[in-house]
Amino acid sequence: MPLTDPSPAPPLSWGPNDQHRLLNTRLPRVDFPYKTTGTAIYSYDVHLPGMLHGRILCSPHAHARITSLDLKPALRIPGVRAAVARVGVGGLLRFEGDPVAAVAADTAEIADDAVHAIDVNYEVLPHVVTAEDAIKPGASPVYPNDPRDTNNIRHANRSGSAPAVQDALNSSYVVIEAEYRTPILHHTCLETHAVVVDYRGGDLATVYCSTQGTFSIPGDAARMLKLDQSNVTGIVQYMGGGFGSKGGIGAEGQLACALSKQVNAPVKMALPRRDEFLMAGNGPGSWQKFRAGASKDGQLTAIHIEQYALGGLGNGSLAAQPYVYHADHVYREAGSIHTNEDSSRPLRAPGHPPACFAMESVMDELADKLAMDPVEFRIKNLGDDNDHIRQLLRGAQEIGWVRRSQTPGATPGTLKRGFGCACGLWGGGGRPQCVVTVGVGRDGSVTVSCGTQDLGTGTRTYMVAIVAEELGLAMSDVKESIGDSRLGNANFSGGSSTAGSLSPAVKTAAINAKTEIAGAVAPLLGAKPEDLVFSDRKISAAGKTLDWNQACAALPSAGISVRGEWQRGLSTGGAHGACFAEVEVDTETGHVQVLRMISVQDCGLPLNRLAVESQINGGMVQGIGMALLEGRVMDATLGVMVNSSFMDYKIPGCLEMPREMLPLIDDGDTRQLVVGVGEPPSIPPAAAIANAVFNACGVRFRQLPITPDKILMGLNPKA
Amino acid sequence: MDGVGEKGKNPSGFSRRRFLKGVGVAGVGAIVADYPLLAPAEPTSAPSGATSGPISGNVDIVLTVNGQNRKVTVEPRTTLLNALRNNLDPPITGPKLVCDMGTCGCCTVLLDDKPVYGCLTLAIDVVGRKITTVEGIGTPEHLSPVQAAFGEKDAMMCGFCTDGFVTSITGLLKANPHPTEQEVREACKGNFCRCGTYPRIFQAALAAASAK
Repeated sequence: MPLTDPSPAPPLSWGPNDQHRLLNTRLPRVDFPYKTTGTAIYSYDVHLPGMLHGRILCSPHAHARITSLDLKPALRIPGVRAAVARVGVGGLLRFEGDPVAAVAADTAEIADDAVHAIDVNYEVLPHVVTAEDAIKPGASPVYPNDPRDTNNIRHANRSGSAPAVQDALNSSYVVIEAEYRTPILHHTCLETHAVVVDYRGGDLATVYCSTQGTFSIPGDAARMLKLDQSNVTGIVQYMGGGFGSKGGIGAEGQLACALSKQVNAPVKMALPRRDEFLMAGNGPGSWQKFRAGASKDGQLTAIHIEQYALGGLGNGSLAAQPYVYHADHVYREAGSIHTNEDSSRPLRAPGHPPACFAMESVMDELADKLAMDPVEFRIKNLGDDNDHIRQLLRGAQEIGWVRRSQTPGATPGTLKRGFGCACGLWGGGGRPQCVVTVGVGRDGSVTVSCGTQDLGTGTRTYMVAIVAEELGLAMSDVKESIGDSRLGNANFSGGSSTAGSLSPAVKTAAINAKTEIAGAVAPLLGAKPEDLVFSDRKISAAGKTLDWNQACAALPSAGISVRGEWQRGLSTGGAHGACFAEVEVDTETGHVQVLRMISVQDCGLPLNRLAVESQINGGMVQGIGMALLEGRVMDATLGVMVNSSFMDYKIPGCLEMPREMLPLIDDGDTRQLVVGVGEPPSIPPAAAIANAVFNACGVRFRQLPITPDKILMGLNPKA
Repeated sequence: MDGVGEKGKNPSGFSRRRFLKGVGVAGVGAIVADYPLLAPAEPTSAPSGATSGPISGNVDIVLTVNGQNRKVTVEPRTTLLNALRNNLDPPITGPKLVCDMGTCGCCTVLLDDKPVYGCLTLAIDVVGRKITTVEGIGTPEHLSPVQAAFGEKDAMMCGFCTDGFVTSITGLLKANPHPTEQEVREACKGNFCRCGTYPRIFQAALAAASAK
């Protein structure tokens, strides 16, 4: 496909960011009346006549072989209609939670009974479930037949010259050597992975799935149902959070398809919370070892970094160090450490928050050794990265950085306050995948549609806003339709690429609709189509005006339906942010309360300021979880997760919220381009909090989460 | 029976619910006999040849939900949440099943105007009580002040926790029409939001209180 634009028309543009009527303003989301009244139907809520409820039997062992498996005891329970095995006798299970078999029954309660009635025996095999155990000589290999693994370590790449780095470190004014660790985290979407397979025999099926890609459903389900992909409809009307964990229909969807196919009846497979923890999503942990040096005047000199992602059976991800900073000499070794745990999945800004935590801690430690202000030290090492410099200066001013004690732990008394900061960077961008249709009826009704999905980011709302602004209409004049694979194609929501891919296609469709309407209406106004002005629900030219409905009466009786696809010049990647935190550490209890957080984030043209601010808030809240609360805990001996519930895996709640949270859109970024902002604001908050804890109490915590036990042991190392 | 699944307290219904959920349905006859309002439904007969395993024990009850008396068949172990979501026809799916252990608040309903966890409340325990779900608080056409304020403040993202928060705050404002922000935080401490909309939920609650 040629990349040059075949049409002679000038490239499209959004125009200046401060001259929009709807975009870049504060728009309540169009679906809020449904989300607040229980009338938004999520995949988890889909209820069909004759629908069965599925349950999965998960492996109780981290590593085992099935020695016998009998589904009949489950099938004998009244109300149980179907049962399928996923792994046969002799088959290997490689993590606690690995799906073994599944049942479908008339009620969820009976399905619960049935899954426990399955008669299965295991030969338990050696396992490793912690990185420390995994790399011990003689540890049980997770991939015994893969020569790329040595002691469960898989090296991905090496770059730079280690001797040159060592020379530079030898002549540096200050050097630190430190190791930083972050645990495996869980997405904990409140809507667990949920699939409803509506197959009743025959050639057609409809599959409702809580997934980040409407168009990932038909192919996945068709393979399991042995149908043509084009005969399977995927539906994602409302989606209760994904954060990277929901791609395709998953193992749970495959099992639902197999059960449905067995009895020609609809099956709902909605994971219980424990199964969600064990088999449906975790984000990789990290283990990063640094030697880093700086000159007396505050320039990074050299960095030696070994960084490993802890991705369970997967390789995980970890952003390359030294992250947003620059040093003349960098040696980097990167790889993964494998364990018998469910493969990690992308988790909001995959690999970035852990990399940011480590590098921003290094920056703080060096600044402390140099007795330099941490903001000043960062600015010295950002080169010509004016975006981050601008954001650091703004954040420092907003949070009152001048109040920060230059001596860590200097606050008198037992409640010690401190400040910290960190920077984040994300790529994103848009791709030519979305096909958007704008329909205008002869009665003046307008619909914008695309098969895309709204993860809670506000996709529906900006689709409506773009069309309404282009056609001179109000938000309420335009209806939207999404989440259905029968509509125009759309990309999977990953990498903050939805807005950058979809919004240009919506803009193009709206312009095409405008052109077609103008062609039909111009004769009524006695004007040339290109001279028509669309505003205030009116179309005017040459001193004449038609209101919207009068104008649309000139359309063909079937109305018009026009398409738009992605075009260059309307979206881009590159999102920068800086986060600041003020915390209070109780040195008697070890409790950390975040008092204030400020996050400055750029995103080019903010399509909807209200929704962008909510994303920024969300990033800060998830950062509180990562910094202070969250982490998978494994029993190394038994190979099982010990905190697979919300009782034990603590996510931030109302009482953890700071007194003040300030989400700031950085309007210093004047790019007239859409930049996806779902992931970027979740990158720097945890690092900012960790640095604030150091400033508050004078102890550096290099392992997240910073829980009260760590604080107390850090403050009283001899106790 | 006061305090069944009540949030923020050690609910009296909790141990019974856990017991019933844990043992399946064997032996629940004696417990069911405590409930004169319950009518045993047709017992499901076990297929011949089955010598062990749980026996289904369905009962027909009437739940007073959003001002309507709704007939529903449940097992004694069926939670109010599952009865609403799975057993009622048509179902009521505003209250969400998220943790199933009384930690997240997404299943919050009002029981005689007080917020309770639907997942920690047994359906048979609330026969004759006034049950209000988010659907009974307002509709898209007639939003309650709390629901309208959630929209205005953008107090939701994915929306899966929203029904629970709207219900908790509605319960709070019934008991305390003019709460402080600290009181809002306390009232919602049993509700989780993973997208991180808390600051705006607090703002919405205060805006709704001042709109009344």
